[in-house]
Amino acid sequence: MFGLEITGVTKAFGAHKAVDDVSLAIPQGEFVCFLGPSGCGKTTLMRMIAGLETPGDGTISLNGRDITRQPANVRKFGMVFQSLALFPHLTVGENIAFSLRLQGKDARQRKARIEELLNLVRLPDMEKRAVSQLSGGQRQRVAIARALAQEPPIFLLDEPFSALDAKLREEMQIELRLLQKRLKITTILVTHDQREAMSMADTIAVMGEGKIQQHGGPLSIYRAPANKFVANFIGLSNLLPVEVLDRETVRFGANILKVASTPEPSASTQATLSIRPEDIQITSASQQQDNTVACKITFVRDMGSSVEVHLDCEGADLLSVVQPRDWTGAGAGDIAHLRLPQNQCRVLAA
Amino acid sequence: MTDIPAEPKVAEVDPARTDNVVLTGLLALPALFLTVLSLVPLFLLLQLSFAHHDEGGLWTPSLELTQYAKLLNPLFLKVAAFSFTLAIGTAVVSVAIAFPAAYFISRMRRRAQVTWLVFLLSTLSLSEVLIVFSFQVLLSGSGAMVKALMALGLMSSAHSLYPSFGAVQACLIYVVLPYIILFLYPAVSQLDDDIPAAASTMGASPVWTFLTVTAPIVRGPLLSAGLLVVIWTVGTYLTPLVLGRPQNWTIGIQISNAAMTTGDLPLAAAQAVALVSLMVGLLGLTRWLSGSGSVEP
Repeated sequence: MFGLEITGVTKAFGAHKAVDDVSLAIPQGEFVCFLGPSGCGKTTLMRMIAGLETPGDGTISLNGRDITRQPANVRKFGMVFQSLALFPHLTVGENIAFSLRLQGKDARQRKARIEELLNLVRLPDMEKRAVSQLSGGQRQRVAIARALAQEPPIFLLDEPFSALDAKLREEMQIELRLLQKRLKITTILVTHDQREAMSMADTIAVMGEGKIQQHGGPLSIYRAPANKFVANFIGLSNLLPVEVLDRETVRFGANILKVASTPEPSASTQATLSIRPEDIQITSASQQQDNTVACKITFVRDMGSSVEVHLDCEGADLLSVVQPRDWTGAGAGDIAHLRLPQNQCRVLAA
Repeated sequence: MTDIPAEPKVAEVDPARTDNVVLTGLLALPALFLTVLSLVPLFLLLQLSFAHHDEGGLWTPSLELTQYAKLLNPLFLKVAAFSFTLAIGTAVVSVAIAFPAAYFISRMRRRAQVTWLVFLLSTLSLSEVLIVFSFQVLLSGSGAMVKALMALGLMSSAHSLYPSFGAVQACLIYVVLPYIILFLYPAVSQLDDDIPAAASTMGASPVWTFLTVTAPIVRGPLLSAGLLVVIWTVGTYLTPLVLGRPQNWTIGIQISNAAMTTGDLPLAAAQAVALVSLMVGLLGLTRWLSGSGSVEP
């Protein structure tokens, strides 16, 4: 395969399995996000890809060549660390030239490459600056330029935006995405920020408990989460306990609901129905259709651009997000009729 | 019309001024101790170095440079040069051992770190006298070291390993090593592990990473540690006296001989002043070296 292939990779620290039998194929030029909560094994997986950790089991291949036992200084995958890890005793130019010196580039070639990279990250004429003289965003860009200097086959970023303020983070996310598209370099970003992953990646690998819970396009993961973990971690989800009657029908309390067709789980088993808050439609009693349940409004929060309606539905908490123009103006204690569109109702394992 | 009396002004207290008063108060005691215990003896030493030496260990206050002229004696210069060579050698070797030791200790699990630090701290309770005489036993013809070397086939016949330069150097390194490890530990434990990892992802070997990244980042603490060793060992007295030959004797023994054996207190004072001056110069040089070209992280 042309690209990076991870097969059955496992890494344990003592009795704790940080990465557990992970397999993933990343085609050349793709932007992948490893997304998950702290301690899910995403950074360990990235460090194994970089060669900074050795897998206990499994293989890592690049363009069909096994690189599992190759040390980091031979792989030379450009990496931007969470702490950025810029060398404080070197100037901006010297930081960028570090890998170029090791490649044996002469002074003229190094200078040309430094200028090219500084222009690429929009920091022209910063070559002589000390690292301590740079702002957070500038340091970020220098770290990116340094990692790209050696023209790495894979570009790795370990939560690089976590220390930046919200505005700068968004700016840097856009810049990085544009840069990656321009360079067409295979890029892996580790993050716990689902918004960051959704907005930047071609594909997302959602990680939990050392495993890849789901891998796919951002929208497909959002629309069709594979399990409760993914449904909970990616955006907000209403998770309702249901009993499966057949592939397209479930019982929720006294209500029979039609759901998106699913091969699993089998009939008469307990399962979880997942539906996004924005997919729930609040209708009037006279407009009742199929898949409608009556719930009691417990709390209404007007956010300006949307209205959050918290409801009690057969003892389960439910959240619906509606547009202000669609909001009827009901208050806490009122009964609302919720329509749960069949194709948005997904049945997950309990 | 009745004048309304102006409200009495609440005395405004400048917080910065209060801080200064507190700071001055806190610094007063250490400053007093420093003056009484360091500057006054130094001044007396300086005064004595310009005094006139009389027979019978006596001296009269004067302002002559006779004692300083005697310092140009080749024998004294040779001893001074040897003392600095010994001290710098001890500094280089002890820092070279202490730096990786401190680095690896700082990367251990917390419990192992504490165990090591407690062990190192406990070794500080050993006095130099005890260590020097332990080395005398260890390096003697019937000592453990000679037996071990013979067992390994590295020595053909049993003979004492002291007095010798090697014995002096080894003992001095042993004495200063725990101090230097403890001195370097805070700086080394603050080193960001991602920095050598970043160098590695850019193609640098572990040795190249250490030489071009890790060591330059901790250049300041390394130089300070080296300087500390030089200060401690340049005037060492007991170790070279017990474990060394006369040619291994240091400026400390020279000063002691001038004061106690020859009874020439002004000469001893001049030698001590010269030693202090050289140390101050070395301190300035180290400060300049650790400051120039270094960039704050």
